[in-house]
Amino acid sequence: MGNLYLEARLDALRRTQNPDGGWGYFSGKQSWLEPTAYAALALHGEDSADRAWKLLRSWQNANGSWRPSTDVQIESWGTSLCVTIAAARGEYGEPFQKGVAWLLATEGIEANALARLAAKVGLFKPDRNLSYRGWPWKPNTSSWVEPTSHALVALKQSAPKIADRRLNNRLLLGHSQLLDVRCRDGGWNYGSRAALEVDLPSYPETTGIALVGLQHHAAVADSVELAARMARENVSPLARVWLTMALKLHDREAPEPEGEVTADLLLTALEALSCAHYTLFKTGGEIGT
Amino acid sequence: MMRRDFVTLTGAGLLAGYAGFEGGKGERRDHTGKASVAVVKAASYSTDLAKRMLDGIRECGLDVRGQKILLKPNLVEFDPATCINTDYRVVAAAVEVFQTLGAAEVRIGEGPGHRRDTYALAEMARYRSEVPRFDESFVDLNRDNVSPIQGFADRGEIYLPNTALRADLIVSLAKMKTHHWAGATLSMKNFFGLVPGCVYGWPKNELHHVGIDRSIVELSRIFRHNFAIVDGIIGMEGNGPIQGSPKAAGVLVMGSDLPAVDATCCRIMGIDPARVAYLQMASDRLGITEEGRIEQRGEAIREVRTNFELIAPFREYRLA
Repeated sequence: MGNLYLEARLDALRRTQNPDGGWGYFSGKQSWLEPTAYAALALHGEDSADRAWKLLRSWQNANGSWRPSTDVQIESWGTSLCVTIAAARGEYGEPFQKGVAWLLATEGIEANALARLAAKVGLFKPDRNLSYRGWPWKPNTSSWVEPTSHALVALKQSAPKIADRRLNNRLLLGHSQLLDVRCRDGGWNYGSRAALEVDLPSYPETTGIALVGLQHHAAVADSVELAARMARENVSPLARVWLTMALKLHDREAPEPEGEVTADLLLTALEALSCAHYTLFKTGGEIGT
Repeated sequence: MMRRDFVTLTGAGLLAGYAGFEGGKGERRDHTGKASVAVVKAASYSTDLAKRMLDGIRECGLDVRGQKILLKPNLVEFDPATCINTDYRVVAAAVEVFQTLGAAEVRIGEGPGHRRDTYALAEMARYRSEVPRFDESFVDLNRDNVSPIQGFADRGEIYLPNTALRADLIVSLAKMKTHHWAGATLSMKNFFGLVPGCVYGWPKNELHHVGIDRSIVELSRIFRHNFAIVDGIIGMEGNGPIQGSPKAAGVLVMGSDLPAVDATCCRIMGIDPARVAYLQMASDRLGITEEGRIEQRGEAIREVRTNFELIAPFREYRLA
């Protein structure tokens, strides 16, 4: 079952690659960084992945960040995915180094000096600890679970090749923020544990993503148990693949994959990744304190 | 004051920038006259909603023959214990009505702000099982092709989904709810779901940093070819838009002037629209909010008004 499931998805990806080397979120649509990056990881080692990487490299901005598509001129969280691909390919040259430097310099705006001062003098009550540092979807906005988790993966994989003294501290602060915004039920939503002091529930998909960023972290044992329970429930296909990858990366048994290939190419790429190359998200042990 | 309030206040010069706001660029409407808003009673979702909707739309004189219509429901999260989203029966009725009225194309589009799996959310909200041919007509606006639009608050440009930009008419199929930051979320706030997550993320935090009220007005300025149908059959009171409680108002509220529709909804909910910042910013620029200048069709407000519970920061918004 596993091989048929994987091959069906890899075939679908090979058939739907755009002429420019990328993938859209759906077949026939313009290429975007996110589905292209996941497809490139799923097809790692194949020519199609090389073509995808060539396209992605052309989207790197001068400051080291990546933009989300050919035409969208912004700096994007997808930089983390591209750094992860570069590391997987063993390409540690300038694009990789500049991408890492951009990640190290980028943080959520909620913890800027003005906000910290205002919180300190009691002008407002922050709903998260402003000492920590996560990553935003794009600069000049707040940090959230998904971009923070992917940045942690990218930077931890980069660590052996980076001689930047900021790295370890940034990883610690990023970990701390993910743990700080964990919901009371032990999982994660997009990144708010409460609104107006009323608890918010976690989502299965973001719980899986957060756990991918928090591999080998002693403080997440209960969250891994929650993820295992979520994976046994009737969750969405997207949630299932992230929970599957999280459980496997935490050395836990994951549910058998099931279902037909859909028109959703992001999902198709992630489903393929969850079978085999999810190991490209594997990171080392707990960081130092 | 919570974190998000603070960053909003410190972020973008906030409302002050609206002193010189001129409304729709290159396409001003005349807001010196009156606006028509239809209030139609619908005691439950079992009522013949298509007929009620058709009555209201005809009262407003809307002609959609040959047009490409995008229905934009409010699909945010799913919690079986409450009523966060536009009810699937309202969406299904709207599809039927706009086809009946001779639209060339009727599509449904939404880009939820919190959940990434839009189709799963649509399934939980029963859109996929109950709205005929939903998957064929639906566009996930979070993952559509996009184009840049110049002039969005202080950010210069904003990327928006091509499906929305190319529609002849966007129908805001909103839910009548209180909102813990903006006071009320109605047809104008519903346009947050037009902003693509693939560019701005989940949540679309850019809009919070620009300022929620300012973003609401800016999006309504950009998408000027619109019509509103607000699902107030069962709305949400208290800590909306996610964690509030169901509140039956038993109405559908419709019109082409979105500020007028939203101001009318506020009055039905017992909220003073003059206290709702985005309505004041939009008033006379994007539409009409004064009660005396809104031509009420169908039910009178006093006949259907039912006070929605307001959380502490908004209690002073209560309409006398």
